[in-house]
Amino acid sequence: MRRGVDTPERAEESRKRTLGSRRRLVPYYLLSPAGLFLTVFFLLPLVLMIYTSLQSGGLLAGGFTFTWEFGNYTEVLGQYQRQFLRSIQYSAIVTVVALLLAYPLTYWIAFYAGKWKTSILLLILAPFFVSFIIRTIQWKFILADSGPLFGPIKDVGLLPDGFRVLATPFAVVAGITYNFLPFTALPLYVALERIDKRLVEAAKDLYASRWQAFRRVVWPLSIPGVFAGFLLTFVPATGDYVNADLLGGPGTTMIGNIIQQKFLTELDYPEAAALSVILMVVMLVLASLYARILGTEDVERAAGAQA
Amino acid sequence: MSDRDERIVDPATMQDIMRHRLTRRSVLRGAGTGIAGFSLASFLAACGGDGGGNGGGNGGNGGNGFDIGQIYAGEPGDQINFANWPFYLDQSKNNEGEVFHPTLRRFAQETGIQVNYEDVINDNAEFFGRLQPLLAAGDDPGWDIIVMTNGRYFTTLVANDWVYPLDPDRRPNFDANAASWAKDPFYDPGNTHGMAWQSGITGIGVNRKLVNGEVTTMDDLANPNKVGTNSVGMLEGDMPDWVMINLGIDPTTSGPEEWRDAANWLRMQQESGTVRAYYGNEYLPELQNENLSATMAWSGDVLYSEVWLQYDMEFVFPEDGALLWIDNMMIPAGSQNPVGAMEVMDFYYDPEIATMVTEWVLYMSPIPQTQELIEANAAQAEEQGFKGYANKLYQTARSPFLYPSDEFISRTSFGRDLRTQEETEEWDAIFLPISQG
Repeated sequence: MRRGVDTPERAEESRKRTLGSRRRLVPYYLLSPAGLFLTVFFLLPLVLMIYTSLQSGGLLAGGFTFTWEFGNYTEVLGQYQRQFLRSIQYSAIVTVVALLLAYPLTYWIAFYAGKWKTSILLLILAPFFVSFIIRTIQWKFILADSGPLFGPIKDVGLLPDGFRVLATPFAVVAGITYNFLPFTALPLYVALERIDKRLVEAAKDLYASRWQAFRRVVWPLSIPGVFAGFLLTFVPATGDYVNADLLGGPGTTMIGNIIQQKFLTELDYPEAAALSVILMVVMLVLASLYARILGTEDVERAAGAQA
Repeated sequence: MSDRDERIVDPATMQDIMRHRLTRRSVLRGAGTGIAGFSLASFLAACGGDGGGNGGGNGGNGGNGFDIGQIYAGEPGDQINFANWPFYLDQSKNNEGEVFHPTLRRFAQETGIQVNYEDVINDNAEFFGRLQPLLAAGDDPGWDIIVMTNGRYFTTLVANDWVYPLDPDRRPNFDANAASWAKDPFYDPGNTHGMAWQSGITGIGVNRKLVNGEVTTMDDLANPNKVGTNSVGMLEGDMPDWVMINLGIDPTTSGPEEWRDAANWLRMQQESGTVRAYYGNEYLPELQNENLSATMAWSGDVLYSEVWLQYDMEFVFPEDGALLWIDNMMIPAGSQNPVGAMEVMDFYYDPEIATMVTEWVLYMSPIPQTQELIEANAAQAEEQGFKGYANKLYQTARSPFLYPSDEFISRTSFGRDLRTQEETEEWDAIFLPISQG
């Protein structure tokens, strides 16, 4: 028998091998559109941002030049600590309140809403059909000092004339909570939805009280959803500037407003970029700390709850 | 992949691309042949400031290298993109309820050129910020006319050659009709880069029923007994100059010492508890829906609300003076139709056209003849029995805020013209923390 490459067995084997290597490449093919997209719209801007944050100069001084200007970082850190802390504080309150609001709500939908599940979920999403800005401006109208809500109440004398909600920290925090509630609710719902209801029954069979069943079965299983909700709310809420701009007053400036002002009013692009880099790093650190505390084994699980 | 792609492009096309790229000073465009030409360095050079040291993002065309003859060599194209502030142009509705601008319709009839007019400018800073990356990259900014207030953004645009010089031979109406204050302003000698669109005064807008007694001075805005607490608006961009004027300081010659005096007043005001927030253009709805009892305000906004929208408001010229400013039409560099843009700009210096605008916007027109023309229109309306309309026009023509006397003007001042990087940074360091809380 001639030794050749064309024996049926060999052909079969080599076919398998090519198929195998093709298969191994498939994930990369699937990744490439998103990868390309992220390279152009995330990675490059990120590099550009860091590059910009190390420039010095000014538009009235002949432009900006790259000089490894690390002073930008120390400068803004010293100057805007207050606004940084305030943003994190607001955002932390928002995240907790949103979680407290969203958890019972999504729990009820996941466990008891039955055939209404989809409709109720749609209701949670309904505000998203209207622009974020328009909704926030509507708040301004509704909560105006003598507007449709407070006007009549003040007329009857139930509230003092000087009472107001707008231009206070409360308005800013409430506005952000409202705008980000769906971001907390949806991942939570996905996590809760996937819990096998029989596990709760089993817990009860094993003499767990309702509270124990929740604490030892439902809560641990919902943690990936809690974490995803936290990420999706806490991170963007910290950088939000629209609510502080529209609903806030002189004492509610957030770090997002400072970045906006640096960029647009002062035209100080390097310092604006430095602030953005710092904000990003702080968010990363806080998010991974939180992941630790919550005991999420890895972020993948949280991402898995999203899928 | 890169090598192959480049070889496929035929040499003539490549040359074309290169020429294009060099003339537009845009590395990004050249890179448009594919990811081939896309290196990080070129990306950074195109987007950021340039490390090369030919400051300001200007290549060879920088300095005063603009050649007016070359810029205005072509024919007017058939479309012009005009960016302006909201409520800054006459407006009307046709039978189908569609909103249109009568003066622009007339321009289209006379010249065949369509003007795409959009009121996209809410704030000098914000609009500048949107255009800056395009201008720095030498790309088409998308607009042929923009309207910017005198001040730092105007200065920055000119200093970086981000606006075209205007052609002095293409503005006969301007030469014939412009008010003396609109010609040769201190911030733009010879009107080389801008022509006034409208001008206005920053004073105080008052909601009559929300204040106790009369609001007549700046200090009243720091007096809770008069204006209440948390109910005064301050215009963030205007307030440094405005406060200086009212403290008896001439802002145009002021220095850091005087700036600090103004900042001290602003802090005192903040501590008095009257301030609700620091605003840009968005103070007006707050005044209209009565969240603000009294606020720094732009003359035309309050006059329009009072005259045409019947709000119980009043524009007050503070006893110690007020800030004067001019909004200017400019042609951003890279405009596709500078010839047409000049035509539009000069068109608005036709007294009849300017009258149509002024009757609607109620700001200070750079064409003095509009006053007589509005008065004549009022008389005509009265004859025809439109009494209410006639009264509004009379009110317009006789308003001291639209047609101020010389004595009145002498009590106003322009703001500080910040010209250098150091000045600007010092100014910001003094004033911005006030509103940053």
